[in-house]
Amino acid sequence: MSRRGLKFKIGELKTDLATFKNLEIYVGKVEEEWEEPLGPSPMPSLTEFRRWDLKLLERYKPFYLPFCDLCCLCTFGKCDLTKDKKGACGIKMDAQQSRIVLLACCIGASTHTGHARELVNFLIERFGRDYPLDLGMGVNVEAPNIRLVCGIKPSTIGDLEEVLNYVEEQIVQLLASTHTGQEGNNLDFESKVLHAGMLDHVAMEVADIAQVAAFGFPKGDPETSLAPLGLGVIDPTKPVILCIGHNVVPSTYILDYLNESGLSDSVEVCGLCCTAHDMTRYSNRAKIVGPISWQLRFIRTGVPDVIVVDEQCIRTDVLDEAAKIGAPLIAASEKACHGLPDRSEDPVDEIVEDLVSGKQKGALILDMEKVGEVAVKVAMRLAPNRRNYKALPSVEEITEEAKKCRKCGECQRACPNSLPVPEAILSAAEGNLSELADLYDFCIACGRCESACPVDIPIISMMVKSSERRVKREIFNVRAGRGPIQDTEIRNVGRPIVLGEIPGIIAFVGCANYADGGKELVEMCEEFLRRRYIAVVSGCAAMTIGMYKNEEGKTLYELYPGDFDAGCLVNVGSCVANSHITGAAIKIANIFAKRPLRANYMEIADYILNRVGAVGIAWGAMSQKAASIASGCWRLGIPVIVGPHGSKYRRMLLGRKDREGDWYVYDARTGRKVYVGPVPEHLFYAAETKEEAMVMAAKLCMRANDTSKGRAIKLTHYIDLYRRFYGRLPDDIHLFVRRVADIPITMKDEILAELERRGWKEMEIPDPTLLEEMIRVVEE
Amino acid sequence: MIRAEPWQTAEIPGPLKALIVQKPTTAAGIIKHAKRPLMILGSKIFKIASDQIVDALIQISKTINVQVVVTSGLIKEFEKKGYKVGFMPAMELADRLRDDDWCGLDGKGNYDLAVFIGFQYYYGWLILSGLKHFSREGFKTMSLDPYYQPHATFSLYNMKKEDWCSYILTIRDSLKG
Repeated sequence: MSRRGLKFKIGELKTDLATFKNLEIYVGKVEEEWEEPLGPSPMPSLTEFRRWDLKLLERYKPFYLPFCDLCCLCTFGKCDLTKDKKGACGIKMDAQQSRIVLLACCIGASTHTGHARELVNFLIERFGRDYPLDLGMGVNVEAPNIRLVCGIKPSTIGDLEEVLNYVEEQIVQLLASTHTGQEGNNLDFESKVLHAGMLDHVAMEVADIAQVAAFGFPKGDPETSLAPLGLGVIDPTKPVILCIGHNVVPSTYILDYLNESGLSDSVEVCGLCCTAHDMTRYSNRAKIVGPISWQLRFIRTGVPDVIVVDEQCIRTDVLDEAAKIGAPLIAASEKACHGLPDRSEDPVDEIVEDLVSGKQKGALILDMEKVGEVAVKVAMRLAPNRRNYKALPSVEEITEEAKKCRKCGECQRACPNSLPVPEAILSAAEGNLSELADLYDFCIACGRCESACPVDIPIISMMVKSSERRVKREIFNVRAGRGPIQDTEIRNVGRPIVLGEIPGIIAFVGCANYADGGKELVEMCEEFLRRRYIAVVSGCAAMTIGMYKNEEGKTLYELYPGDFDAGCLVNVGSCVANSHITGAAIKIANIFAKRPLRANYMEIADYILNRVGAVGIAWGAMSQKAASIASGCWRLGIPVIVGPHGSKYRRMLLGRKDREGDWYVYDARTGRKVYVGPVPEHLFYAAETKEEAMVMAAKLCMRANDTSKGRAIKLTHYIDLYRRFYGRLPDDIHLFVRRVADIPITMKDEILAELERRGWKEMEIPDPTLLEEMIRVVEE
Repeated sequence: MIRAEPWQTAEIPGPLKALIVQKPTTAAGIIKHAKRPLMILGSKIFKIASDQIVDALIQISKTINVQVVVTSGLIKEFEKKGYKVGFMPAMELADRLRDDDWCGLDGKGNYDLAVFIGFQYYYGWLILSGLKHFSREGFKTMSLDPYYQPHATFSLYNMKKEDWCSYILTIRDSLKG
């Protein structure tokens, strides 16, 4: 697909008026000079990488876990797809499952793309098309995903429009393929899932580099400030503005208005979810309440005086919840209007009056400047009158509410984590709130228990009240999102990562839908930091990681530096900053290994799969965005582990280490096929426990190209974790030891004995590739 | 009358639902008559079951020669107690159970009955769904957790803990007899 303008170059042109030398004429878009030649796949179509996808899917076969036995997407249905039955359109269960996965990924990719488009349009209107995309001195490869996929080197915000045009068109095509009577093969659906994921990373990169450049966010700075985090950091005696969502634009206007009015010290501005990350990247005045699951908890405290929502991951009942505490709601995105009247064209004072008087519960305001002024004015006027709202129910009120319980158990059956809510309520009815408080760490505050309760017991409010003392002590921090990884950092760590001496890059990403509390995530992160892996974090996961302190009262962000290096903890920022994580893997291939980047996707993905020991852990992944982010990682050969709730994504991509034939690669030096062992063993895996996830992550960091020294280091961690959690040597160790030199020196005798018992034979270490075109010499 | 009602209220299955095994003696009969049964103990086993019940499950396996596999780090607990059990992560195990050519944990071939106990409800629900739709001809699953698991071939029903303990102990006793 070509979207370039025409370019004419004339060596010498003589006319009656003058003689022109080296005259260049462009028709259409003016193209930046870029020395790197265009690679084979600029702006790929849906099937451009089908060959690569099918290679991956041959090794990592889908294991479908249907969430529903039926298809109900058209009026032929509902169709029963059990026991190999076909639907009225002819679809079978495997294709239907992958179709649903594709729909989820299209939703996820569209959401980031919609976000990116809104941002780019806004920034062009505010700063102009030619506003430079300057990501700082240390970041010359400013847009690795865009360069890789589109073959474009964007230099201004206006250049991003072309990228978005491409992504939007492709998502429409993908979505079209899910219509009744289109795609019918599950693997072709899966290939499209990978395409959606790849597009998603491009869109996320557009959004983040645009906002980094235009809003002056940190530009790859490893030493960003520590942003305050937690319910306890908000001063409830001041007017409080709560911003929820992912698009930082309205929040910037609130912060700017406060600053310009000299009110920054008088008003608290805090955020939930990714908007909060980006607010702290914009201003050190902003505070973070917490991840998505803190939404209901914080609103129920009554502390927010005004709630401003932009887009994504907002509770859809936020208007009702805001009304319960007498806080007006301002909706600031066309994508989430919440049934509110459009007041965008009305004078500020009229809107303020209507919201303060309670005449209207909220307003849709699509003029961002107005959002900033209205939010501040309403908060300042309302706060003195809202003191009565800033309190949770009293202990007596909780006891009385608990006495209403009918012991039906519906709350527990509605709870995603089956928490023992009924027992806690019964205890509360007797005046003992400790069992309710015990739920706090494990509750994701979705509110399904309350919704199921036939007598409307406000379980979440009661739980938060029961934990009031610890809630006030929720004073944590998170290192503000730094954005991209610097090119110099890539140069420094490229060799040890590719050779295996840094045992791996583990990205802790995703939402906060934890099966057993967020502390598990912190424990995993700390484990790998101690082992000197590079830990990269983003989004809600980055917040959760900041919400626990060690015995000295320090969070992991205070204990580990923010560089992209061994034993460091790197917070890239919000959801859209996830593109910097795949971007780092791409940059390793490009900057360290000097592989061509421009429109050269398959070669780079092949490089990452076989050489870069990177793994994602999305322990609380919940959203469709998380699905598309993960699928963008898979296409690049980066495995992703999810927590138990991640099994609800409906299918795994699992390798089979016991099938030797699945683990052959070409040796690029000779063209021969060589067995390399199951590295990495899976592409998508839902672990049952955190221990399983840790062992799996260490294992999935192994790559075919590891040097013996590197493999020995990676095996040391794998074996050590396996032994700690399972009490024995791994039963597959013979598949990962290629030569005696791969064996960790301290375990040599024991492992040699095991290898002998298994009849192990030495293996080759090839220059691994899955791509025929990468073979340099074909063996005769 | 016992309702075939999922424990988590929203986890509604489709047309093909598990048969409720109301009597423990029937459950014992199903396990006993399987040619190659496998008992799979999940990460929540010690949360839902007392030592006495876990011991009863191991006794059941010994009485009728059922292989037992643990899917989590609890393998260490089992070994401390002197139980000889296998180990494999749940998702890898489920993936292999649907494969005709898998040679099993003991190298003697795949299983014809997989008995699941001790799983987080939704995690077990989805694995059982995967096996319901994509397993081999003749392969069956049974959930012995104390609630209805609609995607199993055979399941218990939502029951109180004391009733469940009694149910498991009766399976053990009926197999002994």
